[in-house]
Amino acid sequence: MFIAVSLLTLLALVFGILLGFAAQKFKVEGNPIVDQIDTLLPQTQCGQCGYPGCRPYAEAIANGDKINKCPPGGTATMEKLAELMGVDPEPLNASAETQVKKVAYIREDECIGCTKCIQACPVDAIIGAGKLMHTVLTSDCTGCDLCVEPCPVDCIDMIPVTPNLKNWNWQLNAIPVTLLDEEKPC
Amino acid sequence: MLTLLDQLDQGTLWRSPGGIHPPQEKSLSNTTAIARLALAQQYLVPVPQVGESCTLSVKVGDRVLKGTPLTQGTSLQHLPVHAPTSGTVIAIEPRPSNHASALPVNTCVIAADGQDSWCPLQPSDPAELSQQQILDKVRSAGIAGLGGAAFPSHIKLNPVSEIELVIINGVECEPYITSDDRLMREHSDDILAGIAIIHKLVQPQRIVIAIEDNKPEAAEAMTQAIGRSQLPVGSTRVTVIPTKYPSGGEKQLIQIITGKEVPAGAIPAQLGVLVHNVGTAYAIQAAVLQGQPLVERVVTVTGQSIGRPGNYWVPIGTPVTHLLEASGSTAFAGQKIIVGGPMMGHALPQTQVPVLKGTNCILAPGAAELATEVEEKACIRCGECAQACPAQLLPQQLFWHAKAEEYDKAAGFNLKDCIECGCCSYVCPSDIPLVEYYRVAKSALRQAAEDKLQAERAKQRFEARLQRLEEEKLAREAKAKEAAERRKASMSPKDKDAVAAAMARIQAKKAATETAAVSPDAQATEAAGGNKSAAVAAAVARAKAKKAQQAQTDSPAAVRTEVQTEVQTEVQPAAADDKQAKIAAAVARAKAKKAQQAQADSPAAVQTEVQAEVQTRVQTEVQPAAADDKQAKIAAAVARAKAKKAQQAQADNPAAVQIEAPTEVQTRVQTEVQPAAADDKQARIAAAVARAKAKKAQQAQTDNPAAMRTEVQNEVQTEVQPAAADDKQARIAAAVAKAKAKKAASAAKQDKE
Repeated sequence: MFIAVSLLTLLALVFGILLGFAAQKFKVEGNPIVDQIDTLLPQTQCGQCGYPGCRPYAEAIANGDKINKCPPGGTATMEKLAELMGVDPEPLNASAETQVKKVAYIREDECIGCTKCIQACPVDAIIGAGKLMHTVLTSDCTGCDLCVEPCPVDCIDMIPVTPNLKNWNWQLNAIPVTLLDEEKPC
Repeated sequence: MLTLLDQLDQGTLWRSPGGIHPPQEKSLSNTTAIARLALAQQYLVPVPQVGESCTLSVKVGDRVLKGTPLTQGTSLQHLPVHAPTSGTVIAIEPRPSNHASALPVNTCVIAADGQDSWCPLQPSDPAELSQQQILDKVRSAGIAGLGGAAFPSHIKLNPVSEIELVIINGVECEPYITSDDRLMREHSDDILAGIAIIHKLVQPQRIVIAIEDNKPEAAEAMTQAIGRSQLPVGSTRVTVIPTKYPSGGEKQLIQIITGKEVPAGAIPAQLGVLVHNVGTAYAIQAAVLQGQPLVERVVTVTGQSIGRPGNYWVPIGTPVTHLLEASGSTAFAGQKIIVGGPMMGHALPQTQVPVLKGTNCILAPGAAELATEVEEKACIRCGECAQACPAQLLPQQLFWHAKAEEYDKAAGFNLKDCIECGCCSYVCPSDIPLVEYYRVAKSALRQAAEDKLQAERAKQRFEARLQRLEEEKLAREAKAKEAAERRKASMSPKDKDAVAAAMARIQAKKAATETAAVSPDAQATEAAGGNKSAAVAAAVARAKAKKAQQAQTDSPAAVRTEVQTEVQTEVQPAAADDKQAKIAAAVARAKAKKAQQAQADSPAAVQTEVQAEVQTRVQTEVQPAAADDKQAKIAAAVARAKAKKAQQAQADNPAAVQIEAPTEVQTRVQTEVQPAAADDKQARIAAAVARAKAKKAQQAQTDNPAAMRTEVQNEVQTEVQPAAADDKQARIAAAVAKAKAKKAASAAKQDKE
């Protein structure tokens, strides 16, 4: 009786110490699922989900927010998030019109150089200085739309990205050539 | 046990998996010698062709000679582009590209002068040149792989690892193409000279010239040429391989010759093998020995719609249209013209596109060769495609996932190892265009990878920005703290008394505010110049009025409040820099605005008849007498902005039940800009800002969902009377403003309906 009790107490003590040590030694900083969600999000930092940037939304999803609040990511991102989080896919809460990739374009002769769009840009993709013309670095623009509203002279347009030889999508255009005579020896 | 070199010497061949035997149509074009065609009127030279970043070294109107470099670049990948003939650069503009999409690319258009005269060439002897000098010559000649992939040759000729075996690819397995066949028959000695240069550069143990057994004449010519060449005896041999498509593929050929399989994602150099096309060997010879840049290549023009099918020396940049005309094409308009072979080529959406370095064949099939459009049927899982696949993939699985747009699953079946040879489509009994599906899937995967890269970069930039803002904030705080401490340290007892006095005044003011009930009519009409104290007193009075008003409107039981805020701000700046007066006016307007907002924000109780007749008559008559009356203009702009915000606040008011709000907003923005001076830039900018604001205000109004009986009388009377001669902008601005007003009016009308 005494041996059994003391043995179990000893075991409990040993495993307790072991677990306590492991909890200290192998402590995980932050929630790893947030990083996984963050890599799935398109990083436009547009704030259309209602959070200030993609990472805050990733944290919100990890805490149980809905997965259908990301219009730039579209249905594809939503489905990936559903798979990762183990929840049912649900339709996007925004219309699908934002699916086409767009970039901002500043009509430069109308720009008055107020720097308001520069302050609004989440990825520093607009260059310019006070009272000087601004322009958008199209390669870095995420198409988040945030610079359009602050412009006092409405000189920013969101224009769809034109296809080039690199990003052109092959259409199904087969080349039909019939066989003349199959038996011809080769 | 024989070593690999022994086996190579014996001509041992290995079997490559898959492959097909399509009907051969080579006799259509390989019976005549390589000919030359008449010069075209214009040559279309895309710039750049290989490698992204480069600068143009010619401009429109420049005269160029055959072989003049058109571009300069510094990156390793870049190859210069040369003028294909002598003539004049008549345009540098986007033109349709030789690509399945025909998307326009930057093209240098050269009008030929008909003389076809070379620029000065520098012939050299490879024995006297160092390796680096030869590589530089190859690079500056713009030599790319002529087999079709157009990979820069100087990179392949400068391998990092040791090369044991060089394979010269004369296989030419596509059923119609004969350009390499004819080149080997007619220029075998030149090709061998090129091979000797390759031998000098890479120092391989063996060189194998691989030729399919359907080209016995070419094999014979090459064997004889080896005997005549300077190459070490026994180092080079011709190996004849059995005809099978796609033996000419780089990886397939290595497998046939050496029995080794190039691993997925690896390059042949990792196996110690290098593959060059015979055409490339010829071009290397021309570049090093004669100093000629790559400005022309052999192109097979064939098909039953061609009157004189055969092989032609075609300058790079020749329009396909010219090639078809000169070879007696009977192809009808709109017929499919295929670039490359029938197996791997693509149809051209239009023929006014140039021949490029990788263009080895132009195929204009006749009616008998063109299949009728067959319907794609369901996959029956027969497995024929898996048998035929030379890369040993599972085409039906790839198809399955590509069709379902599950591209990552297709990638899991090694889609990227597909060489797009078309064997699977060829054998498919259900006529499924499998390769097209793979091309779509591949481009989608490439796009996804690109998007991911971009997302990663956006994330980095976003995080860098956040960090920067945080640092700036901290720096600002530290600076403010330091400044405060400095102020405190340097403050004299007299200053301290002043601070105490100010505090007392603030207290007194607060006490006064609690009892005050002043009408909100604040008419700021200070015209005095330097009467500072009077202005301050007036400001204090106005502040009190404002607070009182707020208290009134904030009370929840404010039923039937008839607030008639008539802000008649008449800014008439007489003197040039009457600063105080203007500031006072601006403050007054700000207050009027705040009062309106407070009104609009009050939680609307039931049956509240808010008859807010906001008659915002911003009669900003800006009459800048002096040229740089900047302040006056800014003040006017601020006034307009405030009017706009007030309207917006009103429109945003959440309309409760039974509220009859006959809001008659009479926005009369009468911006009478009369620029007296010639380049009165600020005035124009101010006008533009005003118009933009008017537009936004209208939008806000029309967006209001419960805006019943809203009579919007927007009379934007932009009377721009340009006095000076060259104020074009002013007139354009006026036109734009009118257009905007019109649009807003029509939107309002629609909303009402």
